[in-house]
Amino acid sequence: MMGGGLDGARRIMSGEQLKPRNLRATLRRFGYYFSRHWQGGVAALILVFLSTWAQVTSPDLIGQAVDCYLLPNNDACWYTDANVATMSKADKITGLGGLSVLLLGLFVVASVMQGAAFFAMRWSGNHALRHIRQDLFNKIHRLSLNYYSKHEVGNIMSRLTNDTDTINQALSFALMSVISGTLLIIWIGIKMLRANVPYALVSLSVVPVMFVATAYFSNQARKAFRKSRQEMGSVNADLQQSIAGAREVQAFNRENATIEQFKRVNAANRDANIRAATFTSALNPMLEALGYVAVAIVVVVGGFSVLRNEPLLGTSVISVGTIIMFLQYVQRFNQPVQQIAVLWTNIQSAIAGGERIFELLDEPIEIEDKPNAQPIPTITGKVEFRNVRAEYEKGQPVLKGVNFTVEPGQMVAIVGPTGAGKTTIINLLPRFYDVTDGAVLIDGHDVRNVTMASIRQQIGIVLQDTFLFSESVMENIRYGRLNATDEEVIAAAKMVEADSFIERLPQGYQTVLGERGSGLSQGQRQLIAIARVALMNPHILILDEATSSVDTRTERLIQRAFENLLAGRTSFVIAHRLSTIRNADVVLMIKDGEIIERGTHRELLEHRGAYYELYMSQFRQEETEEPTPSIAQP
Amino acid sequence: MQGQAAQNWGGSRRGGDSSKAGRGSLGRAIRYLAKQRRSTLIAYGALLIASLAQLAVPQLVENMTDAITNKLMADGILGLPAQAQAPAAEQAGTTISQLRDYQSGAEDALLAAGLFIVVFAATRGVFSFVQAYMAEKTSQGVAFDFRNEIFSKIQRLSFSYYDQNQTGQLMIRATDDVEKVRLFIAQGLVLTAQAFILLIGTIIILLLTNFKLTLVVLPILPVALLVFMMFGKISQPLFVEFQIKLSRLNTILQENMAGVKVVKAFNREALQQKHFDVATDDLFDQGMKVARTFSILFPVIFLIAQVGQVAILYFAGRQILGGTLNLGEYQKFSLYVIYIFFPLGQLGFIISLMAQAGASADRIFDILDTDSDIKNKPNAIELPDIRGKVEFRDVTFRYFHSGEPVLRKVSFSAEPGQTVALLGATGSGKTTIINLIPRFYDASEGTVLIDGHDVRDVTLDSLRSQIGIVLQETNLFSGTIRDNIAFGRPHASLEQVIEAAKAAAAHDFIMSFPDGYDTEVGERGTTLSGGQKQRVAIARALLLNPSLLILDDSTSSVDLMTEYHIQKALDRLMKGRTSFVIAQRITTVLNADKILVLDKGSVVAEGTHAELMETSPIYAEIYHSQLVGDVELDEAAAQEAEKTL
Repeated sequence: MMGGGLDGARRIMSGEQLKPRNLRATLRRFGYYFSRHWQGGVAALILVFLSTWAQVTSPDLIGQAVDCYLLPNNDACWYTDANVATMSKADKITGLGGLSVLLLGLFVVASVMQGAAFFAMRWSGNHALRHIRQDLFNKIHRLSLNYYSKHEVGNIMSRLTNDTDTINQALSFALMSVISGTLLIIWIGIKMLRANVPYALVSLSVVPVMFVATAYFSNQARKAFRKSRQEMGSVNADLQQSIAGAREVQAFNRENATIEQFKRVNAANRDANIRAATFTSALNPMLEALGYVAVAIVVVVGGFSVLRNEPLLGTSVISVGTIIMFLQYVQRFNQPVQQIAVLWTNIQSAIAGGERIFELLDEPIEIEDKPNAQPIPTITGKVEFRNVRAEYEKGQPVLKGVNFTVEPGQMVAIVGPTGAGKTTIINLLPRFYDVTDGAVLIDGHDVRNVTMASIRQQIGIVLQDTFLFSESVMENIRYGRLNATDEEVIAAAKMVEADSFIERLPQGYQTVLGERGSGLSQGQRQLIAIARVALMNPHILILDEATSSVDTRTERLIQRAFENLLAGRTSFVIAHRLSTIRNADVVLMIKDGEIIERGTHRELLEHRGAYYELYMSQFRQEETEEPTPSIAQP
Repeated sequence: MQGQAAQNWGGSRRGGDSSKAGRGSLGRAIRYLAKQRRSTLIAYGALLIASLAQLAVPQLVENMTDAITNKLMADGILGLPAQAQAPAAEQAGTTISQLRDYQSGAEDALLAAGLFIVVFAATRGVFSFVQAYMAEKTSQGVAFDFRNEIFSKIQRLSFSYYDQNQTGQLMIRATDDVEKVRLFIAQGLVLTAQAFILLIGTIIILLLTNFKLTLVVLPILPVALLVFMMFGKISQPLFVEFQIKLSRLNTILQENMAGVKVVKAFNREALQQKHFDVATDDLFDQGMKVARTFSILFPVIFLIAQVGQVAILYFAGRQILGGTLNLGEYQKFSLYVIYIFFPLGQLGFIISLMAQAGASADRIFDILDTDSDIKNKPNAIELPDIRGKVEFRDVTFRYFHSGEPVLRKVSFSAEPGQTVALLGATGSGKTTIINLIPRFYDASEGTVLIDGHDVRDVTLDSLRSQIGIVLQETNLFSGTIRDNIAFGRPHASLEQVIEAAKAAAAHDFIMSFPDGYDTEVGERGTTLSGGQKQRVAIARALLLNPSLLILDDSTSSVDLMTEYHIQKALDRLMKGRTSFVIAQRITTVLNADKILVLDKGSVVAEGTHAELMETSPIYAEIYHSQLVGDVELDEAAAQEAEKTL
């Protein structure tokens, strides 16, 4: 089946394997999850075993019906001790009735056990799956942000959804069918061999052919499917792109061209699928035809033995009852063989899925609390960076020895070109990342020596990419402090000037936000994120481009509000806009991972260095375009 | 539609309860087969032949066993004393000469029957293959048509549709939902047809060969059907519920992946884990409910099929003992009984395919039936070359016809060549105003006119092809940088593209890439920074050489140097064209011919900078919010100026 949406495209590109690589280790991990609820698995195995036994015994009984009553043959009849050759018709009917009841009983037992086995299997499977899911989820939050910056979210996402889904499907039907099918085949094989070895070997001679055919066709199909998955990836990519960019497509009148392009990709996908269908369509008819060949072999070979009254290869002469029994066996053989052929692919991709999941679970955790970490006491706000070095990739330092001290209550502005390391600096405070060298201290505590929870509880952050949950506006703001009342939430929104637009949303504060807060402008999303932090009332505030899309007037109102709220608290601001920076107590100018200038806005301007240059570029423009500089008086 | 849309605003969860209409939608989906007439006919023709052929199998097996049993019977009778042979033969319904034939020709008959069955199996195999292949081909063709239709529809839907629907949700309709319908057409429909052919054919054959024995089996049929229908009814809602719970779980997962930093920042791991655990427990319970139902359904299906076998064994055995049936016929009969019950066993599968496909077809047609609220009027005219006069007359706008208006009675006009700057707080309606000009939305009340034409009276193509737009969030498409710049004019020459890129201050950074203008961007290529994307978008708009230009705030999160470059590019772009600009930067505003100050959806002041400084307190406040405190800068600049003098 097809991967959900965009993930499909990413799975292809990340070189997703359909075949497991390290089978044994993966099975051991599955075993671990199953062993936590082993009772179900063991019960299922026993029950499947018994029900398969009951199923393979039934042809015996039908064969006995022939040998004892219908075509009486004392040599072949073991069901009754009576001399069946001389038995009266009425006795035969009674005997047949008894046999039928026994057979029915056998079927009842077999089916009840089958049902119970299925249930036990699902019980274990669902438990295992729940544990896998919960472990995965737990892992998501324990992985450091560094992991996320190195891996595509779409790829991780597909492990969490598609792979668990494949495992679920395999566990719910495929595994069970394959186990019982295999058992059935083995049982039948044994039965046939015990009845008559040469006859059995001849009857089963098609089995190797079936294996070869299955291996060949599924291998070809897998190759063809890989191609069709790639094409599906293009379809997904095209879809994703043109839905996300639909506004531009319309604005530039490109609808027809885009549709034509999609048709081509779509047709390539269709053709790849049809090619794959050649192989998938061939497998089952092939196996079925081989099944008929087996039937023909059973009857012809057995028949000749009967007709000529010759034993087959030195064993006893085959009875008609044996032929009938073998016919039943051979026919029962075909169905599980076909089923296994089809389901085997399922199981393989489940194991491959498991492999990817365990790979994620085994990802080392880079940042965690030290064993003896204590919570940090209430933060007063002194922040110190001591010769801090940081790198995301080995050998590529992002910060190359950063030193600074911030006194409680100071506002620090961090400026510099894109990629200079501004966001890295603030990421170190709440330990989103750890330094590779040096130390970050809050109130004299190295952040690595105290618990992460205690730091993060006291630091309020508004991030560059505003993320809102698809819940109501009310709940999104309340995320800052879970026990806040509705009134407190609204008060926070009012404080950051978000109240007036929220009130005008279709359902006000109860309006449920969509994907990335769709329907809201970037500025509106930022205001909600700011309200969230305002509600939190943190001891240290970090604003990373938090107001870049908010108009300057609103921004100023927010700043004033924060000044009251955060009186005496330390804050860090990353911004490009002059109006945001100039009130800072300290401005840190970063370039290439180093602080190249520091001081107040005024001091830096007087210094006439890089900061001055940066701002004059903006100013010079104003200068050339505004011939009357005097208007700037308040 | 509109009212419903309003309730689903933000539209994350919806459409769960529309499955009742599933059957109608499914019927409509099946009608798409008409376009694949040839492959459909071949598929079903092959199906008919293959299924009828299957009906012959038991007869063929019987032929073989008959060859054996007839010989044995002949041996038995012909081994009797001569005078007993004739009556015995008569009792067995045959003659002495026939028995002699049986005796002598048994081996040939057996071999011939065996050979025949092999030839037959191969033939049936070929037809089964043709049927499976053609059914797949047909279904792929239907899926192809569906995807194309959905895609075309999506391309033409109005902006408000995108406001209400998530990208992921729309994609699922074109991928997973189409796949579900396709599976039903490829498998469900075929299985149903096959089941019918087998069932009816088998019953006819059984009735013809052994009426009495058939009567033993027949009563099981309606019972079986009833049981399966019942399970179908019970299990379908369980499945639907399971899917809903699964997607709820996946939503939590997705959000936590996308928002992992926020969760960390607010220290909410425990809370999220709790949410998730509740969802997994919920899913577990639902999974067990499904398992419970199926752990009853499976054995029942199995048992019903086997009960038929047992009944046949007993009653056929009686007939054999009574001499009215022979063993070969019994074999045949028991095989035919499998043919009856096997398709019944698939009924559960068919029902679940149908249920899923029905729900998916609903969602597909839901898109296909959506009428874009923005489309050409029947008698729409081509908009002549724009001179550039733009007029808003009492324009009011509400999203989804509900709630507070986002714009209230906005009126203004812009003369050809003028630059109009829009200023106002976040959420005051600036973007909404510019969205009305190229008809991304239509005004709820009032009119928007370009050169005196109501924008609703002209064709969308002629309107939009003359307007250049740089949106707030830029999307680039996979392809080269050149393709992206030429997005609105695919046939532009490289010289023209370069010229546009130069004017947009994009040429230098493009040339810094190894592949220059042929650099691939997007998913498979280089990732451009925000500022670079923005400049490509400006070049893209510039290449159109539009008479009317719209610039939504496009420099918000780029660093100052880049902003400076972009600003210069924009200034060039605006010369000589009617331009609408949303900008946070006051410098852009200072040069505007007209400034509109917006507050909560109304124009509260209008005029040039100088006029507004005197008449509008809000404007003055905005102005000072940017420049107050920059006195130092002014002084510094003044000193700089003095030095250079």
